[in-house]
Amino acid sequence: MMNKGTARKGLLLFVVFVGLSTVVGLSRLMDSHRPALDAQIEEEQLYINGQTVKRISLGFNGLAADWYWMRSLQYVGRKVLNSPRNIQLDDLGPLNVKLLAPLLDTATTLDPEFMEPYEYAAVVLPGVNVEDAIRIARKGIAANPSSWRLYQHLGYIYWQQKDFKAASEAYGEGALLSGAPHWMEAMKAQMLVEGGSRSTARQIYERMYQETDDPNVREMARKRLLQIQSFEDRDMIRRILGEYAGHEQGCASSWKDVSNALRRAGLSLDASGAPLDPTNTPYRMVQTGCDVDLDLRSEVPQK
Amino acid sequence: MEERAETVAITDRDAQPSTPAPARTTAWKRVVSIAHNTFREAVRDRVLYNLVLFVLLLTGASVFIGELSGGQERKIIVDLGLSAMLLFGVFIAIFVGVGLVYKEIERRTVYAIFAKPVGRGEFLIGKYLGLCLTLLVNVLVMGAGVSLALLYVSRGWDPLALRIWPAIMLIYVELMILTGVALLFSCFSSPALSALLTFFVFIIGHFSSDLKGLASSMGSPAARWLFHGLYYLLPNLANFSFITSTAHGQMPTAAHAAKAILYAIVYIGVILAASTLVFSRRNFK
Repeated sequence: MMNKGTARKGLLLFVVFVGLSTVVGLSRLMDSHRPALDAQIEEEQLYINGQTVKRISLGFNGLAADWYWMRSLQYVGRKVLNSPRNIQLDDLGPLNVKLLAPLLDTATTLDPEFMEPYEYAAVVLPGVNVEDAIRIARKGIAANPSSWRLYQHLGYIYWQQKDFKAASEAYGEGALLSGAPHWMEAMKAQMLVEGGSRSTARQIYERMYQETDDPNVREMARKRLLQIQSFEDRDMIRRILGEYAGHEQGCASSWKDVSNALRRAGLSLDASGAPLDPTNTPYRMVQTGCDVDLDLRSEVPQK
Repeated sequence: MEERAETVAITDRDAQPSTPAPARTTAWKRVVSIAHNTFREAVRDRVLYNLVLFVLLLTGASVFIGELSGGQERKIIVDLGLSAMLLFGVFIAIFVGVGLVYKEIERRTVYAIFAKPVGRGEFLIGKYLGLCLTLLVNVLVMGAGVSLALLYVSRGWDPLALRIWPAIMLIYVELMILTGVALLFSCFSSPALSALLTFFVFIIGHFSSDLKGLASSMGSPAARWLFHGLYYLLPNLANFSFITSTAHGQMPTAAHAAKAILYAIVYIGVILAASTLVFSRRNFK
């Protein structure tokens, strides 16, 4: 026969179990009926500026900076995931990420030597608000005057804006710093001579790919490099299609018509003779065989 | 009751049968004995259980932070590990520190102790060192945990695993000061009020530069004196704050560390002297 103590323990265990189950059930019920957060509230500006957060962080400012940094990544990541389009990191304009600049600004105020937020700001913010991007890069330079990488970031922002003179100056200033690689000086000259060329773009993204610690930025640089390679492939294919059209008095009806010429040009082809883009997805023949475009399944950015 | 018996037994064992001024070595023995018992009491009170929470926090961070940090696992492990070390240490220093003296008075074990030739200063220093030993064990285990977590996220040897130790040493020194402050308050105040006051000292200690700035910007000379006075009187805990720069691989210079340690030694000496002064005025006869 169960004694009184055991019965009471059993009853208490039952209450704990049932109580917890009820709490879980109620939480799920409330979550499912919670109205969606108003977009305006969701995008409300930060209440406390970086200086104030730094002051009240009681020496935990590094940890607070990490928190703001991860919040920036989550903020952008959530927007990208919720977007129906295939968005590139350096083209977030359509996503309305207006909290990103204050978040990165706060992270860098809390920990001015934290380099990654400056890099992220240089890569992501020009597509949203270029003034914020330049301001944060210059703030980083003021706080870390011996860091050549910040000049690289600033030069990248100006290059994206096609302000090749300012970009050249930024690379030039960075090249003067001790520890700066030689290519910074070369980039200074290249910006002035051929700032808008694909060769310059390729070098910029190659450097970014090699230098960054941020996997998101590295992935973005990788995709831009694939895109540059794809632009060159497509120029080549268009030339071959144009030559075929001129010779045969009409556009090619399939890739087989030009497969030999494509192969001679050094392009990789699939079994059907279609040229492959840098991600090994076949290119698409358009405009009744006189032009080429990326396949929609391709990993190469469309724009 | 068990704890009371323990304290009395130890003091009995170490006490001299006569009242003449005890020899220097004996006084030191008594201090060590009280410190040893304070440490044992803290262990028995499961103070070191916070290490389990710390290990869970660090393990979780090491495993999951990679997905959230954009390649900044090492920096975040250092920031998180050292900040948690400071925070846990502050809570131990405050909540155990404020009870060091109060508990002995509340349980009346203090009467038995002072019936023996144990000086008030010896008692306080023993209590203080006992808690410092508890914090030392805590900080060493946590430091080892952070180093291991760094080796894990770096997938191999990482110089940062060694470079964090000067900052850990300064965190420990900061905790030693806070323990002294908690002990001072516990000599004349209730645990709740002592905890509150010690926490205020911790907060103000990290606002020292603002206090100095405030003093300089004050119009009235009296206010200037007051804020300057507070700035110099309260511990400047920013001297020991190197978590953020350590996360970037920078270490405090040897000169700065030496000055900070000297500052702490002098400050702790002052606190313990003041505590003894306050405690000596209390009647336990």
